Amino acid sequence: MKRTLQEYKSVIKPIWCPGCGDYGIVNSVQKALVTLDIAPENIVTVSGIGCSGRLSHFLNTYSLHGTHGRAVPTALGAKAARPELTVFAIGGDGDGLGIGGGHIAHVARKNVDMTYLLIDNQIYGLTKGQTSPTSPYGIKTKTSPYGVFEDALSAIPIFLSYDVSFVARANGVDTKALTEILVKAISHKGMSIVYIFSPCITFPLLSSKGLKEILQPLPETHPKEDKLKAMEMAYSEDPIYTGIFYQVEKPTLEDRLQSVIKQVCDRDNGGKEFSLQQVLDSFA
Amino acid sequence: MNNLKENSNVDFAIRIAGEGGEGVISCGELFAQAAARTAYHVFTYITYPAEIKGGFSMIQIRIRSGRIYSIGSVVDYLIVFNQEAYDTTINDLKEGGMLIYDPDVVKIKDDLKIEVYPIPLNKLVTDLYGSKLGKNVVALGALGNLFDIEFNVLEKLIKDRYGSKGSNVIENNLNALKAGYDAGAANNWERKFNLIADPQAKEHYMLISGNEAVALGAIAAGCRFVAGYPITPATPIFETLTNIMPKVGGRAIQLEDEIASLSACIGASFAGEKAITPTSGPGLQLMGEQLNLASMLELPLVIVDVQRGGPSTGLPTKTEQSDLKFAIYGTAGEAPRVILAPTSVEDCFYQTIRAFNLAERFQMPVLLLTDQSIGYRKATVRIPDLTKIVELDSSVHTDDISIPSPEKIEIANRIEAVKMEGYKRYLDTFDGISPMTKPGMEGGQYLSGGLEHDETGKASSLPHIHSKMMRKRFKKLEALSNALEKNPPDYEGPEEAKIGVIGWGSTEGAIHEARMLAEERGILFRHLQPKVLSPLPERQVRNFLSGLKQVIMVEENYTGQFAHFIKAKFGIKPIEIHKCEGVPFTPEEIFNGIEKVERIIHEENITRV
Repeated sequence: MKRTLQEYKSVIKPIWCPGCGDYGIVNSVQKALVTLDIAPENIVTVSGIGCSGRLSHFLNTYSLHGTHGRAVPTALGAKAARPELTVFAIGGDGDGLGIGGGHIAHVARKNVDMTYLLIDNQIYGLTKGQTSPTSPYGIKTKTSPYGVFEDALSAIPIFLSYDVSFVARANGVDTKALTEILVKAISHKGMSIVYIFSPCITFPLLSSKGLKEILQPLPETHPKEDKLKAMEMAYSEDPIYTGIFYQVEKPTLEDRLQSVIKQVCDRDNGGKEFSLQQVLDSFA
Repeated sequence: MNNLKENSNVDFAIRIAGEGGEGVISCGELFAQAAARTAYHVFTYITYPAEIKGGFSMIQIRIRSGRIYSIGSVVDYLIVFNQEAYDTTINDLKEGGMLIYDPDVVKIKDDLKIEVYPIPLNKLVTDLYGSKLGKNVVALGALGNLFDIEFNVLEKLIKDRYGSKGSNVIENNLNALKAGYDAGAANNWERKFNLIADPQAKEHYMLISGNEAVALGAIAAGCRFVAGYPITPATPIFETLTNIMPKVGGRAIQLEDEIASLSACIGASFAGEKAITPTSGPGLQLMGEQLNLASMLELPLVIVDVQRGGPSTGLPTKTEQSDLKFAIYGTAGEAPRVILAPTSVEDCFYQTIRAFNLAERFQMPVLLLTDQSIGYRKATVRIPDLTKIVELDSSVHTDDISIPSPEKIEIANRIEAVKMEGYKRYLDTFDGISPMTKPGMEGGQYLSGGLEHDETGKASSLPHIHSKMMRKRFKKLEALSNALEKNPPDYEGPEEAKIGVIGWGSTEGAIHEARMLAEERGILFRHLQPKVLSPLPERQVRNFLSGLKQVIMVEENYTGQFAHFIKAKFGIKPIEIHKCEGVPFTPEEIFNGIEKVERIIHEENITRV
């Protein structure tokens, strides 16, 4: 019997501001999991700090709400240790592009088979409105009272240059399209990043309405394996494209680790794992 | 051979000194390996510069007919490669000792009360193939001859070491070895000891470093996950584990920094695996936030801190015991963790297994504090008997798990929940230990968070929840402290002694030998070297302190970090002996300090405890 949406909901009720896009996002994640029918006990959800970091509270999975910026390497550890699990990392723009920005490149290099949801509200919302790495230039925030004087980070080109093997952008408000992208991201063998716009209701910089006008799905003819084309589309500011920019197949971390295991066991031990005694003997 | 003196009480030390990049360390290590194939015990000490080339570098090898506790206080044989090495170390050579030096590069004083043997290391190797590279192998040949090591033993060592570098390299090295061996023979020197291989005697021993012992201990404990970032002097643990893990189906992953490394261990432990990360002080600092998190999530994992000289980048290649306070108290808020300090190379193996047992059973991070001197020290240790390994199930009570030793190695795992209905991950039990589930266990899903949470894992900042959960987490430390009381105490020495010496970690051997020196001179003291530094078994420590007139604390740091801890806990006023030079204590230095204290007590008859 197929699982129901209810089975992916935890007993904890979400506490985001009324009207927050994050409600739709957690719903889309649950819908994607129902579609894929993945057993809740085989899912690990690691989240960082911030409004979106709370997402793991509301999923009936093995959920780890960790520290600021470290969801990605923590999720890597879970996946590396138990490759059969479905693993998510979840965080916001501050978590993933600010404090934890350095980790993404190295998880991408290993092509860890996990799905990273980077939920961008362009502001530090949980702490009531400070500048984030994606706050638009010139906008006034609590810590930029005279206007943000830095340029905002453009995340998709960064992920493309890191060679993340699945890069998508979605509008959190459009839950149907988001669910479809999430299904593909979770099914992708390798690291998938879904970068989701979720405008802050309480500290609005970009209204949902404004987003709707500027966002446009990538053309159906977009060649997903063409990185330069993906770059070009990623840099477009009007329209801002949503959908899957880039998707390629390459060995996952698990494939790479297995190949090392096979290499050494084939070469030195007739294809068998070494016993503890053999390990000790090599030091004697 | 004719002039060899038979001596069953073999105990001598050889020091080879030169410049980084001259092959001093590899010469010494090969010699130590040859010595380890005899019936004797071997113990090495290495000091080297932080740079790849240049700077003072040396290796000291002590060889003895019985167990070796420290590198000793004297040097019997000194081999110097250059003038700086000679100037730096000649005063350490004992009267009547032997100096081997290269007369073309070293000018020696002529009033030395030692035997001197000039061997033109540079010239011999330059004559062979026009380069100074390989003079360390010439020195190895000469040393081999001096101690009557069979040439084929040395030949095999060279082949094993340079085997992967091609036949040309091996041939050059063998020529250099022969040149050194012959130059040694030409000296017609007086041999005091021989190091004839004794294959039988060494069937049960291996020569490994403290760092290697930690890596092997982790594997024996069932750890199959290591994440790390290279940092001197902990890198050899990581290197050894990256070599072994694929062989045993484990995972070894180098990450972008120490924060990511510990994060990955947290992820792996959350997924149900035993995980380890090796680091040194600066790395431990970076791990602070995740160490905190692991304690809050109540996840088992092991962090090894091979301490080095600090602060900041400090002395990366030198030893110090200066991360203790950070290990015990460091991180935001109050987060329980266990601190272990192995006391010898062999102990590194067993304490690492113990670290995993404690982490798994008490569900918290365990920090294993070693240091550069023990990490890079090589010693002959008994090959662990794998038939002594027993895997325990949940039914064995945590208090009844024995300390891993050559006699018995018990491997503990986390206690798993059996009933999923109404499962509470952070159930507040009598000892604070709550049964765990792990991914894959149906119905065992839970939320684990760094926010304060209730028994189910749900975030809560209510006053009564915070106080209850703080207590729950700290109850585990109390339970561990109580369990430790049941173990045999970590002290030795006569009951009637009025002086007590407390050290920790790698200084055990030097303090032990100082105690032997003191006993010879009629000074008695008791010696406590706790292997679990925090939490301490308080009743055991009080038993140790009772009846003492004076406590002396020996530490390789500037401020006396363990003394601070002991003073606060037990209200005593110890006299503190600190050494903060980047090099370990010799037994003689410790003895001299104790002798001074003994004189004061004797003269003033003061009572200070």
